[in-house]
Amino acid sequence: MASPIIELDQVTVRFGESPLLEDVNLQLEEGQCLVLLGPSGEGKTTLLKLMAGLQIPTKGRVLIHGINPEESSRKERKKLFLEMGMLFQKNALFDSMSVLENVLFPMREISDLTESEQHRLASELLEAVELDHVKALFPHEISGGMQKRLGIARALSLKPRIVLYDDPTAGLDPITSKRIAKLIKDLSKKENVSTVIITNDMMRAFQLADNIVFVWNKQVDMIGSPEVAKSSQKEPFRSFLRGENRA
Amino acid sequence: MFKTIQFGLESLGEAVLFFFHLMGLSFTGQVNGGQIFDQIWKVFLESLPTTMLAGFFVGGIMTVQFSMQIEAFGAMSYLGGLATSATFREVGPLLIAFLLSGKIGAFTAAELGTMKVTEQIDAIRCLGSDPLIEVIVPRFIGIIVASLFLLVFGLGLSVTGGMLMAYFFANINPDEYIRHISSIVTISSIFSGLFKCLTFSFVIAGICTYMGYSTTGGARGVGLSVIRTAVLSMVSIVVTDWLTSFLFNSVLQSMGKL
Repeated sequence: MASPIIELDQVTVRFGESPLLEDVNLQLEEGQCLVLLGPSGEGKTTLLKLMAGLQIPTKGRVLIHGINPEESSRKERKKLFLEMGMLFQKNALFDSMSVLENVLFPMREISDLTESEQHRLASELLEAVELDHVKALFPHEISGGMQKRLGIARALSLKPRIVLYDDPTAGLDPITSKRIAKLIKDLSKKENVSTVIITNDMMRAFQLADNIVFVWNKQVDMIGSPEVAKSSQKEPFRSFLRGENRA
Repeated sequence: MFKTIQFGLESLGEAVLFFFHLMGLSFTGQVNGGQIFDQIWKVFLESLPTTMLAGFFVGGIMTVQFSMQIEAFGAMSYLGGLATSATFREVGPLLIAFLLSGKIGAFTAAELGTMKVTEQIDAIRCLGSDPLIEVIVPRFIGIIVASLFLLVFGLGLSVTGGMLMAYFFANINPDEYIRHISSIVTISSIFSGLFKCLTFSFVIAGICTYMGYSTTGGARGVGLSVIRTAVLSMVSIVVTDWLTSFLFNSVLQSMGKL
């Protein structure tokens, strides 16, 4: 079996005395799509931020390609995290930049592409997410669904091997939600990108996932394929799926 | 009580470390010169009208106050020199710095705080860039340089304000107002004023960037950062003013020039 792209090994995160995550073990394989499910406040976003290097574990290790970024040089660490793209829960778009500039920003800062190549690539990405007609507008001038798609385009601008999505369909209508789920799936399959998605949209979760990860009580409570998860009678996962208060 | 003191000291330590870290990064050559220039230009242009107005009236206020005091001694020809000296050494830099801390400081803290709570800072990090280099240091340097220019500009205008007030309210013509400026306003008082301007610029830039960057907790957090920036900047400016005045006087005394 190939070694995992990301591995969380006995990871604990604490904020002061209160734990955000405790003794979490999780692996992401190449080309795999993990969907994180669980009630709010159980540590899903913290898990994602750990993977993205935005959160440092209090205990345990996060390995990317078997390397612990915390023990690496600044240059190596930057290289490791450049393999990742992230869509934030509230998009985190740069509000002082236009739609096009948001996508160009990472290319300008990091890549060795010429300006015309950057513009060509950015236009292709905006076309893929159907935003090429609003590229001169600013994030606050476009709809919520468009902002999500812009966030996705920006997350993909450096051609990452791993993309982390924090609730990509939150607050969207079913049609836009379906469109974004299709976009994520198409982009992942086309580029063989490994994906981690947080969502509370059960239909999308089972549609996108290779593996479902249920986060409960600050721990990974269950991991399994969508089929296994669907037939699981394990509590509190079962109650969570039924939308009952026990979960 | 002990926890509050501990928290206060920890925050102070963090702020000092942050300040020196920014100072270090400012000289690494990693920061884009264009971004720094943009910030200087933006801060300068945005604050120029208010600084001009403040500078003008600070000079005017000092002139009116001095004219009331020295009229009794028949020393009105010294009005320009005395008012300018007091404005340059003390009141000008202090009042203009207060104004700039409210305008530039609060704006920057709110802007950076919003970027922090909306995860834009995390997004920059996620996209392989260093937010300190991309966002914070250009603002830090921009505020220092622009504030310094603005303060000096404001002081320059204070002379014009004083001169006009003297003409209209004390019947002193501009020639007479200017005549004794060179004999009373010494090089050391100009240097003292400029040095204060420089230290106040560092204070404003350091506090607002730190407060903005360390913001947590949504809209309320941004509001708190803005308030803390305003209060802390003003208190720090007064303390720094006292410290620089004390140091300057000690240096001048030791040189036998006071």
